[in-house]
Amino acid sequence: MASVKLNHIYKVYPNGVKAVNDFSMDIADKEFIVFVGPSGCGKSTTLRMIAGLEEITAGELRIGDMVVNDMEPKDRDIAMVFQNYALYPHMTVYENMAFGLKLRKMPKDQIDARVKEAARILGITEYLDRKPKAMSGGQRQRVALGRAIVREPKVFLLDEPLSNLDAKLRTAMRSEISKLHHKLQTTFIYVTHDQVEAMTMGTRIVVMKDGFVQQIDSPRNLYRFPGNKFVAGFIGTPQMNFFDGKLLKHGDKVAVTLDNTDVKLDAPASYFNKANSAYLDGSKPVVIGLRAEHISVDPKQYPFKAKCRVSHTEELGTDCQVYADFNIASEETVAESPTRVIVKAPAGSYYNVDEIIEVSLDLAHIHVFDAETENTIAPRIPQEVACDCTVANDTLSLLGNEIALPEAIKVQNGKYVVTIPTTAINLKGKIEAEVVEEEDVNGQRLVHLKVGDAILFAIADAEAKVGKKAKIGIDLKQIRLEKDGEVVVNPLAYDNALTGKLAKRKIVVEKEVKGKMKKVNDLAFSLEIAGASFECSRALALRLVNGGGQDVFNKDLEFRFTPYQVAIGEEGIAATVEKVVNYGAESFAVCKLGEKTVNVSVPDGFAETEVKLSLNADELAIIEVTRSIRLA
Amino acid sequence: MRNASALGIKKQKRYRSMKAVKITSLTVIHIILTVMAVIWILPFGYVFIHSFRGNDITIPFPDQIFPTEFSLDAWAKMFGGNPANYADNKFDWINFPRWFGNTLLIACCSCVLTTLMTLATSYAFSRMRFRMRQPYMKLILILGMFPGFLGMIAIYNILRAFGLNEGPLKIIALIFVYSAGAGMGYYVCKGFFDTIPKGLDEAAKLDGANQAQIFFKITLPLSKPIIVYTALTAFMAPWMDFIFVKLICSGNFDYGTVSLGLQAMLETENYNSHWILFCVGATMVAIPITILFMFLQKYYVAGVTGGSVKG
Repeated sequence: MASVKLNHIYKVYPNGVKAVNDFSMDIADKEFIVFVGPSGCGKSTTLRMIAGLEEITAGELRIGDMVVNDMEPKDRDIAMVFQNYALYPHMTVYENMAFGLKLRKMPKDQIDARVKEAARILGITEYLDRKPKAMSGGQRQRVALGRAIVREPKVFLLDEPLSNLDAKLRTAMRSEISKLHHKLQTTFIYVTHDQVEAMTMGTRIVVMKDGFVQQIDSPRNLYRFPGNKFVAGFIGTPQMNFFDGKLLKHGDKVAVTLDNTDVKLDAPASYFNKANSAYLDGSKPVVIGLRAEHISVDPKQYPFKAKCRVSHTEELGTDCQVYADFNIASEETVAESPTRVIVKAPAGSYYNVDEIIEVSLDLAHIHVFDAETENTIAPRIPQEVACDCTVANDTLSLLGNEIALPEAIKVQNGKYVVTIPTTAINLKGKIEAEVVEEEDVNGQRLVHLKVGDAILFAIADAEAKVGKKAKIGIDLKQIRLEKDGEVVVNPLAYDNALTGKLAKRKIVVEKEVKGKMKKVNDLAFSLEIAGASFECSRALALRLVNGGGQDVFNKDLEFRFTPYQVAIGEEGIAATVEKVVNYGAESFAVCKLGEKTVNVSVPDGFAETEVKLSLNADELAIIEVTRSIRLA
Repeated sequence: MRNASALGIKKQKRYRSMKAVKITSLTVIHIILTVMAVIWILPFGYVFIHSFRGNDITIPFPDQIFPTEFSLDAWAKMFGGNPANYADNKFDWINFPRWFGNTLLIACCSCVLTTLMTLATSYAFSRMRFRMRQPYMKLILILGMFPGFLGMIAIYNILRAFGLNEGPLKIIALIFVYSAGAGMGYYVCKGFFDTIPKGLDEAAKLDGANQAQIFFKITLPLSKPIIVYTALTAFMAPWMDFIFVKLICSGNFDYGTVSLGLQAMLETENYNSHWILFCVGATMVAIPITILFMFLQKYYVAGVTGGSVKG
């Protein structure tokens, strides 16, 4: 029993193919995690990296408290069930299950007890003397599970264990594995390409595509709050309906229009509270998603109505899927039409081909995605909120509150649009707000705050409760001010990046060898950044070499750090202070190194012009530039 | 103008009976096969029958195709029996039991060594990934295309440098010659290992096995057919080879193999007098190989991997 922690894991093959990209995840003890995605998405590779069958290119893998990157599979205390079972054909079922224990030199009677117990759990006691050849697929799969169970591992890995079984057996084994997880109380990691398996078994699901993690969430949340179009389309049957369209906010309504159709619906603006306001201008193309179960053939069921032309219906027994087109005049076949819609109708519904029917839409469950990035425009934790405001005499009037602007934000009087990130709002200020809603988003508590007539969002602790008043503050260094579409004030850049290299040099150290002090040749490592050299620990250097390869010393590395991770000291990178910006409580020096800018947190009253910037190598995020791999 | 098919009257195509076709073709095939089999088996049969030929073992070569008299005289002579009527010294140099013993010893040793080396090389090429793996495989393949005796002189000099060309050490020299290059015959065996699913290795690795345990406990038990094949070919080589025995032992029959002695029987001066003895020797050579083959044949079972993974 153990937790598993994946920290910026990459798998890059020698030919440059990136199978897994920046995979980070914390798996708690006793969780049932499912990796799901289409073939070639990197889910099996990730599992095999956890098993130790594939090397990890970069990143850190922990099982329990141990870093296991460099540990042999047998020492990781894991067991794996393979898609093709991988039973030893020359051994009986008993020997197959006992093999791992025998290799670990366990006493015979103990092996016997464990194998018998596992066989009892799986119901294969009477087959213990058979060879795998003489067993059916389902029985072999049980033996493969049994071989894993007897080991009593910390983590169970299952690589598409049910793919080779027929549909009926698969459903039966699915619930058996779920039961097994319940019984064994161990961490399970399960790989599948079948979203139904993922939805029914996982406590949390990792959806992957092309080596990137798309979303990690519980089955219910994946269905309700897909983070992008891929997840929305992948989870749920039939697939979600997608339409190109536009959104336009007018008053307290948002007009939803679908391209190439007559469909135009006025939804309440409250449905779009979390949506990024940039998409509500009526011109930005978006993809609108609505599931079949949220469209009804009963025009009275939901208040939003539209007409469509029926192409054909599929009777499924429990219900009926109606294939139709919102573009009534469309000449394309329904399979290719971008305005195609699938509607769930009661069983036995019948419509003529080309019949025009009226359906009603449940826009409360609408999903909207950016047409290009395909990310949702309304993430569960909104990135930012935009409000109108006015500035007069260095005072910001925002939603009926007056905020004194610090020295750093000096703008002319006038009307502005202020964009406030969710991270900029804290509950330690002076602005009056009312908590109108609270929700749990993957362990973080998001509260909806009503200020004036606008809704702001903040991450808050348990003290903020619905109906309570709160006093909120705004971190002014994170806000953006726009006037007539032009940015007047940018937030303080938080990410500093400099490029450099890893260097090694030979040194001579005194070391105790066989009780005598001897001079021994050794290597020391340093990070060469912008003309300065910073000591690099052996552990960090090893990580960089492991991830970047032996020729990492010739590679360009990018070092990222926040303004708080860089200090002004006696030695380090020479830079010129361009200006010092004062946000009241905090000050930052904007330093120039040639073309590059580095922001540094400085104490009040800082007035130097030439400074030396010092960094701590262990705190930096280090990225290999050419392959864009995060090494540390 | 209307043709027949347009009017709906189809001309019936005549089909030959499928059974008749089958019987005809099978008959033809079997006749061809029988002829080929007879041609192939004839020399063996001829040698075998003539080894039991009548009273005078020194009769000159082919006077009869099928012998009229039969006796075990020649066999007795070969195994040290010395019928009085042939008490002359032209058979003194023949010590067939010794040659047979030499060959058996060499064959057994080289069989074990060759099998081990071939399996190990093949396993490495099949399962491990190391730098230069592909070039090595190609290099060995190309080297294998040259006949082995090209290196004859070099091999002789090397053996002489080690002092292995003297007396009984010649037997060790022969064992080396027959088994040292064994790894080069990795190809068939590697092909077989490639068919054993890698998933089994991985499962064993997770079960805690190291590379050697995987090889001995998983791969080898599943490789019986290929082990038998490798062992048989290795065992046969010393019985067949003449060139290297001749090179290493030259005229000394005491440490040579059967092929050296048998060839000597066919030399011009012995040709007429030793011909029946040669038939006995040739038959004897076939015996151990046949026995071994019959013993190992049952391991040539296809589908030993059945049931390990879903096929």
